[in-house]
Amino acid sequence: MLIKILGRRLAQAVFVAWAVGTLTFFLMNLLPGDFAYRIAAGRYGYDYVNQAAADAVRAELGLDRSVWLQYLDWFRDLLRFNLGDSLVSGNPVSQELAHQLGHSLQLALFASLLSLLIAVPLGLYAGRQVGSALDRASLFISVLLRAQPVFVIGLVLVLIFALQFQLLPVAGFGGSRYLILPALSLALSMAALSSRMIRNATHQVLGSSYYQFARFKGLSEQQAFTHHAQPNIALPVVAFIGIQAVSLIEGIVMIESLFSWPGIGHALAHAIFGRDVPMIQGAALVMGLLFVLINLLVDLCCYWLDPRQREEGLQ
Amino acid sequence: MSKPVVEVFKLSVFAGDSCLVSSLSLALKRGEAVTILGETGSGKSLLAQAIMGALPKELTASGDVRLFGKLNPSRHEREQMWGQQVAMLPQEPWLSLDPLMKSQRQLSLVEELVKQLDAKRARQQAQGSLSAMGLADDGNKVPSQLSGGMAQRLAYLCATAGGADVLIADEPTKGLDDSRKQQVIGLLQQHKQHGALLTITHDIDVAQALGGEIIVMRQGQIVERGSAEDVLNTPRSDYAKALIAAHSQDHFPIALKQGNAPLLKVRSLSKQRGNKQLFHDLSFQMGEGEVLGVAGDSGAGKSTLVDIVLGLTECDQGQVERAPELGPGKMLKLYQDPPAAFPREISLGQSLEDLCQLHKLDRSQLPELLARLRLDEAILARRPSAVSGGELQRFAMLRALLMKPKLLVADEPTSRLDPIVAHQTLELLIEQTRKIGCALILVSHNRRVMNQLCHQIVDLSPLEDTQRVPVDFSSACLIK
Repeated sequence: MLIKILGRRLAQAVFVAWAVGTLTFFLMNLLPGDFAYRIAAGRYGYDYVNQAAADAVRAELGLDRSVWLQYLDWFRDLLRFNLGDSLVSGNPVSQELAHQLGHSLQLALFASLLSLLIAVPLGLYAGRQVGSALDRASLFISVLLRAQPVFVIGLVLVLIFALQFQLLPVAGFGGSRYLILPALSLALSMAALSSRMIRNATHQVLGSSYYQFARFKGLSEQQAFTHHAQPNIALPVVAFIGIQAVSLIEGIVMIESLFSWPGIGHALAHAIFGRDVPMIQGAALVMGLLFVLINLLVDLCCYWLDPRQREEGLQ
Repeated sequence: MSKPVVEVFKLSVFAGDSCLVSSLSLALKRGEAVTILGETGSGKSLLAQAIMGALPKELTASGDVRLFGKLNPSRHEREQMWGQQVAMLPQEPWLSLDPLMKSQRQLSLVEELVKQLDAKRARQQAQGSLSAMGLADDGNKVPSQLSGGMAQRLAYLCATAGGADVLIADEPTKGLDDSRKQQVIGLLQQHKQHGALLTITHDIDVAQALGGEIIVMRQGQIVERGSAEDVLNTPRSDYAKALIAAHSQDHFPIALKQGNAPLLKVRSLSKQRGNKQLFHDLSFQMGEGEVLGVAGDSGAGKSTLVDIVLGLTECDQGQVERAPELGPGKMLKLYQDPPAAFPREISLGQSLEDLCQLHKLDRSQLPELLARLRLDEAILARRPSAVSGGELQRFAMLRALLMKPKLLVADEPTSRLDPIVAHQTLELLIEQTRKIGCALILVSHNRRVMNQLCHQIVDLSPLEDTQRVPVDFSSACLIK
C-alpha cells in the first residue's frame, strides 16, 4: 500500500513536470509582442533597448528558431534535469530557484502553521457549539474572507497594521517582522475554509453513534473526545489540507508579489513580465512539484492515521 | 426479592405536542428480563434513551425514572452510571464502534479508563474477554473487517466492560441473520443470569428466548403486557395476536412449471472486493416464475452478486448469459429502503406519469394493478413522505410491475417493514411476479422465509462466524 502511494505520487510528479512545462511554454508563445525586445529590456533597461540590442538577444538565444525546436530543446534539457539559464540574468534557473525556494517554503510553512493555529481551536469550538453566536460569527467571517482574493486581505492588513498603526513594515524582506503580514494574509484565507471543515468534521463525529457509544461505555467526555473523536476528526481534515495546497500555492504567487517577498511566486510574476521562459517553466515546475509533495505528505499522514488502509496493505 | 434497580413511572416522551411514548411504567430487577415488543418506529428506542438520559434535544419527557434507588438522577449523575452501572447495547454495532480503532484497543481502553487498570493489565483483560467470545484472532481488526455478528459481540464486550449490572439492548438483532441472532440471544441470556436486562425488539424469537415480562407497544401506547408465556401463547389484544401470527405464519412456495427455457444462466462467477473473495466459481440458472434466494451477512456480497446479474457491476471471472427477453427495462430492482427509491419533492402520481411517458406504457392497466396491490388511488396525489413504508414499498412494486419485467431483483424488500406488513408485502410480491411470469431474485436475511419461498438458495456467508474452521470463502450453491 505504501509502495502504491509512493508510486502513484511519483508518476504524478513526472506528469506534472511535463505538463506544467509544456503548458507554460506554449501559453507564453501565444502572448503578443516581440520576445527579444522584452528580454533586452529586462537586461539593459527600457531606455537602452533598440533594434540592434533586440537582434543581438535574438541571435544569442536562438529565438528565431521554430517554436517546436525551442520546445524540444527545453524538453531534452529537462530529461537531463537541466532547467536551462535565465534569459534575463544569465544564471542557471536551478540556482535562482534554489535561492528563492527557501524563502517561499519559509512563507508557506509559517502561513500553514498560523492557519492551523487559527482554524483548529476555532473549528473545534464551533463544532462543539453548533448554532452558537461564535459558530455563526465564524461562518460570516469565513464567507467574507473567502469572497476576497487573497491580495485584498493582504492590502487590508497593510492598511491597518502598516499604514494606520505603523506596527509592521509594508513590504520587503528582512527580519521576522517582515514575515508576519504576508503569512497572516495567507493564513486567514486558508483558515476561512479549513476552520469550517474542522467544524463540520467535529460536529459529525460528536453526533455519531460511536461517540455516543463511547460515552455509554463509561468514558468521560474528555476521554471519549481524546480517544474516539480526535482521530476521526483528524482524518478528513488532513485530507482536506492536501486539497488546500492548491490555494496555498496560488496564494503564494499573489502574496509574494504584493509584499515583494523574494520567493518563487515573486520570481514567477517577474519572469512573466520579462518573457523569461526558462524561469517561468522552472518556477511553475517547482510549484507543481511542491503540490505533489504536499499531497504525498498528506497521503502518508492519512495512511498512518487510518488502520483500514494499513490492514488492506498487509493482506 | 431484591429491590428493582430500574423503575420507570408513567414515562411519556413528547416531540412538541405529539406524544411519542405515553405513560409507560416498568420495574427491572437483577436476574430478570423485561422485553418491549413492537413495530419499528413505535417509540421503543426513546424509552432506552430516556432511561439513559440521552434523549435528543428536541424531545421532552415527563414522569419519573428511578435508577438504583435514586429518583430522577441529574444528567451528570446518570453519566456517572454509564458503563459502570447501566450499559447500553446499541442498534447498529458497526456504526457504534470506532471505525479507526482496532477491536482490542476499543475494549482495553474501557478497562484502562473506566476500570483504571494499568495499560498492560487492560490489554491482557481485553484479550481474555475477546478469546472468551471467540474473537481471539480478531483483536487487530477494525470494525469494517468484522462481520455483523462479530461486531455485535465486540460491542457487547465494550458496553459491559465497565461492569454494569443493567443492560439495555436496543434492537440488538436488527440486520443479523438467524445464526448470528441466536448468538446475540445467547449473550443476553447469559447477562440475565447475573444482571438485569431490558430488551427492545420487534423480533418475537428474541422475546421468547429471554422470557420475563413482555410489554407490547404500538405507536407509543402499551397494547398489552404480561409474562412472556402468557403474552406469546395467549395474546389478548388484536395487535399482539397479529404480530405473533405474522411471525409464525408460513409462506407457501409455488410449484414451478417445468420445461421453460432458462432466462438467466450464471457460470462460474468470481468476484473479489479489496482482498476479500466474495464468491468463487458460483453457478446457477433460473427460468420464468422461479424464485431464487440470495442469503448471507451484510457485506457478504449479496448486493454485488445481484448487481452483476443485472449488469450493473463487472465480475472478475465467469459469465452471465441473459435470454433475449431480458432486454432494456426488463430487468428491474426493488430497493431495501423505499423512500430512497423515490424523488422526494414529486407526487407519486407524477412519478408514475413520467415513467409512462418515457416508456410509452399503457395507463389503462393502472387501476387494476392498484387494486391488486391493495393501494388506494388517493395516494397518487401524495408525496413519498406522506405514505407509510409498507404502502410505498407496494407502490415501488407497482412501478416495477408496470414495466412488465422478466427479472425482478428484490433487495431486502421487507427488512424495514414491521412483521405484519412485511408478510403481506412479500406474499403480494410473489403473487404478482408469478402472474406476469417474471423471475424473482430475493435477497434476504431471513432464512426461514427463504426456505419456504425460494426454489433455490445461493448462500454467500462464509462459515467463519458459526464454526471457527479455517475459512476457504467458497460459497456453496445449495439447491433445495
